[in-house]
This record gives sequence, C-alpha cells and structure tokens, in this order.
Amino acid sequence: MSDIVEEIRTAYARVGITLDQPATYGTYYRLLCGKCGRMVGNVGDRLLPGMAATLVQEQFDLYASGLLGCPCGHQRETTRGLDTPRWEAAQPLGDEVSLWT
Amino acid sequence: MDLDHETSVIEEAERRGRTDLWPFWRRVYAQGDPLPRFTPPESRPAYRFDEGEPLPDEYRGLLLKMLRHEGERAGNKSFLGFMATCLDLAEAIFPDAESKLIKAEYLAEELKHAIMFHRLAVGLERDFALKDVPYAHYTFHLPRETWADDAFFHFFVDLNGAFHARDWRESSYVPLAKMSATVERDELGHSEMGYHFLQRIYEERRGRVLVQHLLGKWYPAALDMFGRSGSPNAPKFVHWGLKSVGNAEIRDAYKAYVDRKLVALGLDLPDERKNRRFL
Repeated sequence: MSDIVEEIRTAYARVGITLDQPATYGTYYRLLCGKCGRMVGNVGDRLLPGMAATLVQEQFDLYASGLLGCPCGHQRETTRGLDTPRWEAAQPLGDEVSLWT
Repeated sequence: MDLDHETSVIEEAERRGRTDLWPFWRRVYAQGDPLPRFTPPESRPAYRFDEGEPLPDEYRGLLLKMLRHEGERAGNKSFLGFMATCLDLAEAIFPDAESKLIKAEYLAEELKHAIMFHRLAVGLERDFALKDVPYAHYTFHLPRETWADDAFFHFFVDLNGAFHARDWRESSYVPLAKMSATVERDELGHSEMGYHFLQRIYEERRGRVLVQHLLGKWYPAALDMFGRSGSPNAPKFVHWGLKSVGNAEIRDAYKAYVDRKLVALGLDLPDERKNRRFL
C-alpha cells in the first residue's frame, strides 16, 4: 500500500467514502459509499502528496448539499457532523430535482 | 483482405455510429480549422524519418518518451485500465441513456486510436508495443465523482491531446504526421463531448454551482499538463521536429481556447496560478 493510497483512503473516510480494492492493475480505485456500498466515483494512485486531503476538504460543501456523494445521503449526513455551521451554510440548494447532480 | 478494405470497414462502422450529436467534431470542423498552427523556429533543421529508417539515439529517445506520455496504445494495459475506469463511471453514474451511448462511442474511438498507436509502436520498437506505462501525470488520477467531473476531464484532457496532435501534422516522424489529422479531429470531438455535457449540466441551478466549484479542481490540472515552461527537453523536441514550440507557447494557446469556451458557458475563470504545480 503506497503512502498516497493511504492518504486517499484517510481523506475519503472522513466524509463517509470507502476506497475499494484496486480496480485496474493497481492504478485506479473505486470510491464506494461507506454505508450502502454503491460506487460513487473513482480515483488514481498518482495524486501528489497532500492533494487528496485538500480535494476532499474543498469539496465539503458539495457533499453537504448532496451535489456529490451517494443518493442514500450518507456523505451528506457525515459532513453534518464534521462542521455543522459550514454544513448549514451549504444547504440553500436544498433538494431540487436534478438529472445531472 | 487488403489494408484499403480494412480501412473502409472501419470507416463504415464509424458512419453507422453517427447521430445528430456524434461525432462532435463534425460541426466544429465544418466552420474551419479550430486549432492554431504553431510555427517552429526558422533556423530548425528539416529532419524527416519514416518507419524502418535508422534514427539518431536522441531522436529515438525523445520520440519514445513522447509516446510513453501519450499512452493510447493497445499493448499498454494501463491505458486499457484507464478506459475501464471510464466504463465503470458510465455504468455507475450515467445521467440518461443518450449520455451512456455517447460515452460508449467515445470509448470505441479511443480504442481505434489504441490500434493506430500500436501499429506506430511496432514500427518503431517492437518491445515498446507491449510496454505497460501507467499515466504519470496527476490529472489522470484526479477523483471523478460526478458526470461533471468526467465532462471536465474530457473537455480539458482530450483537448490537450488535440493540441498536440495538431502539432504532429508537422512532425518529422512520418508515421505520426500521417495519423495526426484523425487523432486531432477525434480528440477535439471528445473535448466537445465534455463541453456538451457541461452545457447540459450548467442549465440547472445545482449544476451551475457544481460546475463552477469543480472548475477549481480541473483548471490548474489542465494547465499543468503542458509541463514546466523551462523544461530542458523542450528545445530538443523542437530541434528534432517532434514539436514546433515549447511548453509555454502551446499552453498559452490552449489557455486562450479554453478560457473563451468557459466564459461563453458563463463561468468565472480561476486565477491561472492558483493550485498550479508545474509552472
């Protein structure tokens, strides 16, 4: 397990996303919802040091508002517990029906 | 079966895949050449090498380096692995049936390139044809967690490929120059596919927020893909006729192109130096 993969695993665990086993020759990994196991994306193992934590942190509002994360709402709920004021500030988008997000 | 027949079979298969949207390059090229031609230094020697001709060591090394970086080769299992991640995403998060089919057409076209680059690799160095070269640049490893991420990937990264392929029209390596027009056109089309999806996503209020936010992730990565402005190898590539200009010049032209399209979409452009790793 490379340091970068461990960084990615730790960064995503914080928002309720699990890193799956390597999907393609040890280079790319599926991102799974930590609650229901649904695939919510993928990531490669050549991110630069520190990048994974920064990216996930910068996407906090997107998880909080449900623009990113699983339809089951696990990441939305997880982020609520991490920083409630920031989570509440991200809510104005509400639950509008969307084809794309 | 002769080569002309094989080519016509592939062309016929591609024709049958045409829809009002696909291939996306059609509408763009109907309005003229979309990408800039880069002018090499006048003092540059006029090298020209065809398949099977002896290559100077430095030239061969630089050409192989370029092709390793390019990556679209049937014998490169990391390329195939990356294509598998695209399939995974298309299966898991596709927004509608049309988008899923468009993505399938994209994958088919990239696999066509993989065959073209395979032939080029075999003609250059047989051992290279089966060499696994994982994508080294972080842009290929950024997380894609929504269709908008994937759309940005195609808009930016496939366009990077189109800009380089445009420059290969003037390449001193004849097999590369011969295939450059097809690769350029297709990659430009893939970028337009990404832009099409961004337009669709941007029509929704939630989509606008998402796209503007994710631009901050993809924009610096896209500009970083051209490498450092002061790369010591760039003048060597230019000298041997494998590139026409250095990293900074092609990045500047690329930036002007993408900025125009992003502004047309309604997006605010990020600071071009923010979160950059390779200046």
